[in-house]
Amino acid sequence: MGIARSVSITLEQTLPAVNEEAAFVGELRAGSEDAFAYLLTVYQNPVFNLVWHIVENSADASDVLQDVFVKVFKGIKGFNGDSSLRTWIYRIAVHEASNHRRGWIRRHWREPFSVDDQESPSAAAASEAASSERSPYQVLEQAEREVVVKRALASLAPPYRTVLVLREIEGLPYEEIAQVLGLAEGTVKSRLLRGRELLRRKLAGYVGKEHV
Amino acid sequence: MWARNMFETCLEIRHHFSDYMDDFCAPEARKAIRYHLSFCEVCRDRLDQWQMVREELRALPRRQVPQELALRMRVRVSQRVHDNLLSRLWVHCENALKPFLIPATGGVLSALICFCLFMGSYVAPASDDPDVTVQWATPASVQLLAPMDFSTDDNTVVVLTQINAEGRAKGYQVLSGQGSPELMQRLDRMVYFSTFRPATMFGRPTDGQVVLSLRRITVRG
Repeated sequence: MGIARSVSITLEQTLPAVNEEAAFVGELRAGSEDAFAYLLTVYQNPVFNLVWHIVENSADASDVLQDVFVKVFKGIKGFNGDSSLRTWIYRIAVHEASNHRRGWIRRHWREPFSVDDQESPSAAAASEAASSERSPYQVLEQAEREVVVKRALASLAPPYRTVLVLREIEGLPYEEIAQVLGLAEGTVKSRLLRGRELLRRKLAGYVGKEHV
Repeated sequence: MWARNMFETCLEIRHHFSDYMDDFCAPEARKAIRYHLSFCEVCRDRLDQWQMVREELRALPRRQVPQELALRMRVRVSQRVHDNLLSRLWVHCENALKPFLIPATGGVLSALICFCLFMGSYVAPASDDPDVTVQWATPASVQLLAPMDFSTDDNTVVVLTQINAEGRAKGYQVLSGQGSPELMQRLDRMVYFSTFRPATMFGRPTDGQVVLSLRRITVRG
């Protein structure tokens, strides 16, 4: 487990370099607990963020996250290196989250649907205002903007939302998004175009108020 | 000149905003868009809005995994790592046996100490009756042979004699030697007038056998 350890010391919470990835995957395949601990350290937050934007609920995102890493653990022996480790993990995460969301909708389709998170934005803003250099008004305004943007993003149809999250929030290139979603690059581009336009329309009267 | 005119309408040019923002446009298309934006204020505003939406999305706070969840996942991974039959069996055995280890060790040690103390002070009971042996089994033996003249003409006669619990002969059988009528008569008298010590079993007299080997014996009374 020398590799995973040394990597974790020198590149804390960063992705393994491409040439190191094969050795890292080897460690994972060998069932090294330290390698998996490192994998969790590096990927748990991005994957949680991605999953949260798809399932729109912290509790569900937690469940999905656990399932994702159990699947990663089980399936690492079948990982053949056709794509990068990150792409492979994101693909599992997107599939798990989409499946969970479909199941969730089936179970709760009669219940009123809310895209709001359980957390209160004003409470989060208040705690941030106490520690921030910005004025309380600015902090609250920022918190409200975040809520509106999150709401608008959550209201998009899942195909557009997933592509937007992968591109704008996770910063994946088109090619990697196509691999994660199992789509052609052209489809990714068209969904991105459509998603951006839908989001612009939803936020037209709100976003960039201060700039316009 | 061609690049400048490659898009006919604003709607057409807006279809390329996404690629333009991501730098995925062909150089000719990029030139054409720039040219169009230089005079079309509506499209310029539209592109600004797109970019603002992007900034808003990128400014969204990133979700962090709660510490408790991170710990739970590490525990699950650890469980998966050790999830094979032998490991599970070993853990189950260890868990089942650990509570008994100290009591069992104490019990064995106590038993050992008690055994040593008992064996150290144990003396085999001696029999009060010196004639009765306390051995498990003793063979029958001759106590007193009858005083008879006995000649076998240099041939050995071997006789198997059955002895009862009172030390008397019940019968006999000549195993080897010449069985002449005279010899048999003398053997009858000798066997039936001799006395024997009976065989014993756990100190009690019981039936037994004695083998007598006779050769040129002359006994005068």
